[in-house]
Amino acid sequence: MNHFDEMTCMLYLDGQLEAEHARELAAHAGTCAACRELLKALEGEGVWLRESLLEEDGAVPARLMEPPTRARAPWGWIAAFGFGTAGAYTLWSGIVEPWRQQLSQAGFGEGNLLTLMVFHGAFWKGWESMTSLMEFLALTTLGIVVAALLRRHWRRWATVAVVMGMLAGALLLPQPAAAVERHKGNPDYILPAGETVKTDLIVYESNSVNIEGDVEGDVIVFARKITVSGHVGGDVIGWVQEMVIRGQVDGNIRAGAETISIEGTVGKNVMSWANSLETDPRARIGGGVISGANSVEIVCPVGRDVTTFANAIFINGPVGGSVQSYGDTLRIGAKADIQGHTSFRGENKPDVAPGAKLASEVEFEFRKHRPGYESPHFYWWQAIWLGVTFLYGLVLALVMPVFYADVVRAGRGASVGIGLLVFPAVPILAIIACVTIVGLAIGVTALLLWMLTIYTAQIFVGTLIGEFILGKADGFGHTVARLALGLVLLRIARNVPYVGGWIVFAVIVWGMGAVAVALYKNVKRQPALA
Amino acid sequence: MNAAELTEALAGARGGSPDAWGEIYRHYAAAIFRFCRRAMPSREDAEDATTEIFMKVREKLGQYDSSRPFGAWLYRVAANHCWDMLRRRRVRQDLETGDLETLPLEHPDPDQLEQLLTQRTGQQVRGALGRLPARARMALVLRYYSDMSYDEIAESLGVRRAFVGVLLLRARHQLRDALTGGAGIASVSRGKP
Repeated sequence: MNHFDEMTCMLYLDGQLEAEHARELAAHAGTCAACRELLKALEGEGVWLRESLLEEDGAVPARLMEPPTRARAPWGWIAAFGFGTAGAYTLWSGIVEPWRQQLSQAGFGEGNLLTLMVFHGAFWKGWESMTSLMEFLALTTLGIVVAALLRRHWRRWATVAVVMGMLAGALLLPQPAAAVERHKGNPDYILPAGETVKTDLIVYESNSVNIEGDVEGDVIVFARKITVSGHVGGDVIGWVQEMVIRGQVDGNIRAGAETISIEGTVGKNVMSWANSLETDPRARIGGGVISGANSVEIVCPVGRDVTTFANAIFINGPVGGSVQSYGDTLRIGAKADIQGHTSFRGENKPDVAPGAKLASEVEFEFRKHRPGYESPHFYWWQAIWLGVTFLYGLVLALVMPVFYADVVRAGRGASVGIGLLVFPAVPILAIIACVTIVGLAIGVTALLLWMLTIYTAQIFVGTLIGEFILGKADGFGHTVARLALGLVLLRIARNVPYVGGWIVFAVIVWGMGAVAVALYKNVKRQPALA
Repeated sequence: MNAAELTEALAGARGGSPDAWGEIYRHYAAAIFRFCRRAMPSREDAEDATTEIFMKVREKLGQYDSSRPFGAWLYRVAANHCWDMLRRRRVRQDLETGDLETLPLEHPDPDQLEQLLTQRTGQQVRGALGRLPARARMALVLRYYSDMSYDEIAESLGVRRAFVGVLLLRARHQLRDALTGGAGIASVSRGKP
């Protein structure tokens, strides 16, 4: 009789042979040493395999210690995507595009706003030259955000490697040779007449800065006061209390200041955010002016457009382009000579002196400070806005019911305090993140989400107010009813004179706090990192 | 956890009690993780699979027939899940056919085989297991870790029952090869006794 093959032996050991066949094999093995040995070896192999596989090796990962939570709809991502898209659209169509157009009218035409402010502008250069701390903060923020976003994939080394590589790459990118002269902490910095700085000049932590000599690059200043009586080949950029330009600046003035006084020559544009912007009749601005200020006085020649957002605006000199003003009052003096179109949107009729030369009559749009309760239009628009907000809330409740409920639940707790913290912190962190190119996208996204949350806050707070009156919601219909009631009450409250603004603010803070708490809890609920 | 405790926990978990579910989870998580660790190609895959298996089990708890052992059912769910994951990656199945002809017909030298068993540690066996094609690995794990019957293996891997033996024997050969660096176990000529 033939020996039994390995397969048959294995099947025999596993109890898979038919009874007769198995008896045959057993009988054969009783007399055949070779088959007996094979059976023994195979049986040993089976035991050995079992023991090897059952052997405990290594600890169970920490993240598997507790049961996983039920799979949830990725509403966090859906929300972020939806918010981001809507926010981007709103921001672009409502703010960036109009601004871009205005900037381009005012002679800041090249590139878009972002390029202007971040890449082209000396703002960027300035930051880059003094950023060790800021860059560190930005990258840390970026790192935290990236880690949070990738926490599901964190264990995958390939992803980690790519992200780390990108971060390292961003850090190691050849920095432009920073041709910069820096002065820190010198209380009274003076660049004496006759001396020349051939690069950019940065002065910070100073009391007063006097530029009497020549700077071939930009001047960037963080100080109490800066006076330029010499010559600056580039831009003058400053965050100061007082800025006085007596000399010549070939580039732009970009400043945030208490007062800005221009008595000399500015080759390009003036972009400022100040309490007051004053010019001297002897001054000259080659480009345009964009200014947000309490009062603006432009009495010198301006080469291009003037765009102002100010309480009181006074123009009394030649303007090569158009004038667009938003504010309380606009006065146009007798020496004004405006080549382009003049428009004013404000509370008082513009006051145009008889001798003023205007290419066209001032286009005036009356803007009321307080809502016009007497007009049917007012109620019509209130109803429209109410409808839009309600619809938005309805969509939120339908698309993201879990998130919606989470936020409302969070809103019942002490979310106002969190809101007070998050409301100012997000834009600050976002701006810090924007300092680096890699952080820019995250910073801008965060900012967009923040802006959208400002609007969305009323939905959640409205629901909470509705709940306060009608009791807790149970189901979709209940929620919608509470939302509707709450929104109506909020709409009425925000139009109450004097306190309306504060109510709006409180709603934003409350709602933003609730969103932050809900997001935080959701992140915490995810399985921890291994 | 004894049988009575398990029955009670299962009843609680079916009734929606998170505590009862937590007990069951903690009792079986380590074993299922080790199962996945042996069945899946990487530790990360095993972790993901473990999480997903328990989520699936919780959802399907209503379908569990309490007259049968819970552990066996759990391993069936685990096996199906892992095999699904591996299949979705199209791992080398196309190279594996059901033909008996592909099996080596020579018999291993029992002495050499026993020598191999004494020389290789459990860790080396598990290392070698990780280098086997997915189906061979899965077959060995189902048989020798989960103690599944041939019928259960056939059902889990979607093969004919008659093919399970072929699969297992071929997997054992591949494992021997992997453990001997490709040299395999010498065969012996086996004439008539």
